[in-house]
Amino acid sequence: MSSPARTDLGRALCIITGASRGFGRTVAREMSRLLKPGSALVLTARSVDELRALQAELAESEAGRAGLLVECVVADLSEADGLESIVKASKVAFSEDMDHVLLVNNAASLGDVSRYAKSFTDMAEVDSYLSVNVSSSLCLTASVLQAFPQRPGQLRTVVNISSLCALQPFRSWVLYCTGKAARDMMFRVLAEEEPDVRVLNYAPGPLDTAMQTVARSRTADPDVRKSFSDMFAQGQLLTCEASCSKLMKLLLEDGYTTGAHIDVYDV
Amino acid sequence: MLDVTNPRTLGRSICIITGASRGFGRALAHEVSRWLQPGSVLLLVARSETLLQELKGELWSFIVDQQSAVHCVAADLSTREGLDETVRVARQEAVTEMDRVLLINNAASLGNLSNFATFTGIDEVNSYLSFNVSSALVLTAGILQAFPRVPLQQRSVVNVSSTFALRPLPSWVLYCTAKAAREMMFRVLAEEQPHVKVLSYSPGPMDTDMQRDILRLTGVKNHLLPCQESAEKLVKLLLDDDFVSGTHLDFFELKKLTSRDDTTM
Repeated sequence: MSSPARTDLGRALCIITGASRGFGRTVAREMSRLLKPGSALVLTARSVDELRALQAELAESEAGRAGLLVECVVADLSEADGLESIVKASKVAFSEDMDHVLLVNNAASLGDVSRYAKSFTDMAEVDSYLSVNVSSSLCLTASVLQAFPQRPGQLRTVVNISSLCALQPFRSWVLYCTGKAARDMMFRVLAEEEPDVRVLNYAPGPLDTAMQTVARSRTADPDVRKSFSDMFAQGQLLTCEASCSKLMKLLLEDGYTTGAHIDVYDV
Repeated sequence: MLDVTNPRTLGRSICIITGASRGFGRALAHEVSRWLQPGSVLLLVARSETLLQELKGELWSFIVDQQSAVHCVAADLSTREGLDETVRVARQEAVTEMDRVLLINNAASLGNLSNFATFTGIDEVNSYLSFNVSSALVLTAGILQAFPRVPLQQRSVVNVSSTFALRPLPSWVLYCTAKAAREMMFRVLAEEQPHVKVLSYSPGPMDTDMQRDILRLTGVKNHLLPCQESAEKLVKLLLDDDFVSGTHLDFFELKKLTSRDDTTM
């Protein structure tokens, strides 16, 4: 039943959130190498400088010079007008001969890991966290699916950058675990509802990023903090590139069960 | 102090139930009151003052015969004011030392049952998550802070959950997402607080307004349990106290376990 793995992701419109740093930036770079000429990358984040630098880098790359369009949208995903501006830019970047629309929901925040669940008595803090980490990925995905409805010969793929924390509770990480568990379920519902959309919950593993630095320095729980600093000290953190190549492999092979949670170590 | 001659009791306790005015919450208020010892406090929270007072009226024998108190807190738990008021009343009402603090996070809403792709408006999603997720965390945190660990006092927190915390259902993205979020939230709490007993209880489909809405909106008619039956099962779980903190238990699982017990004993 399995056809040979593709070597590219088609002539695609690819939208990546949280693209300015860390894993998102690596996804943008790796993705650009796998898109056919005539594709478009729509990169979004809040930080204009880093986004522009990435845009310039990609424009100068082999893919860029071969005709990959790279658009930047500086936006706050938890703001209605932020979401609108991403969809608008995506519609402009889209062309009728594209055969793939791919959304990578990568943007996320850790939340305050220096505190335990019983300290979260501020409604505004919890609401804000859920808005950025849960609501915004639902609304962006819904908006993209509406803007680019199912068409014959066109594939739609939605990736959720998940975590082990979606499956397993970690002390002093209530917001992050809650948000990731919520997102996994959200995208499982999408997978059930829309059999024509390929949905992947990808857990990239412990990455050597700014988020990880915060995790090992600020985590309140001593055991959880120690496990992160041990991983760092023992060189067990993954590079974004190593994890991203697993994600790309999954996307190229396109053999995963839609809605599945797949961890980097499963690949 | 706990009556050791009759261990099957919830003791002299403060029990807080949200969404207490109707449905499962209301049935829980009745069921819990049957197992509380004199000098207990039942704190009933919902938006409707009228319905709460009516419920309080139904609990007159608990108040009079059991020399216990019922306090109605008409509060919108999606607001900080509503949450603060609930915690304030709880703190104020439990002046004598209680055997147990029991918080039942029951208040919830169905949300818009609609295709995933229709949820483009962030305000609607934020509002839903605020009431169904944030408020449960904030209230639980407030209550645990108001009742810090005291020797010989048991603190229990219940998350009224759903089978759809664990498995997805098309058109139910808001509900499933919030229930899955709460499930994890309470698992983290259980990990962090070895001295708080945490239970996620899935009550099964019951004869409530929520199920009437589901029928109206989806045409799906479930075989419905009487709320009281599910409430009895939850209270039995709390009395037996035989579960691992943070676990998810389902009404239907427990039913199977009890039948098995009957045949082996």
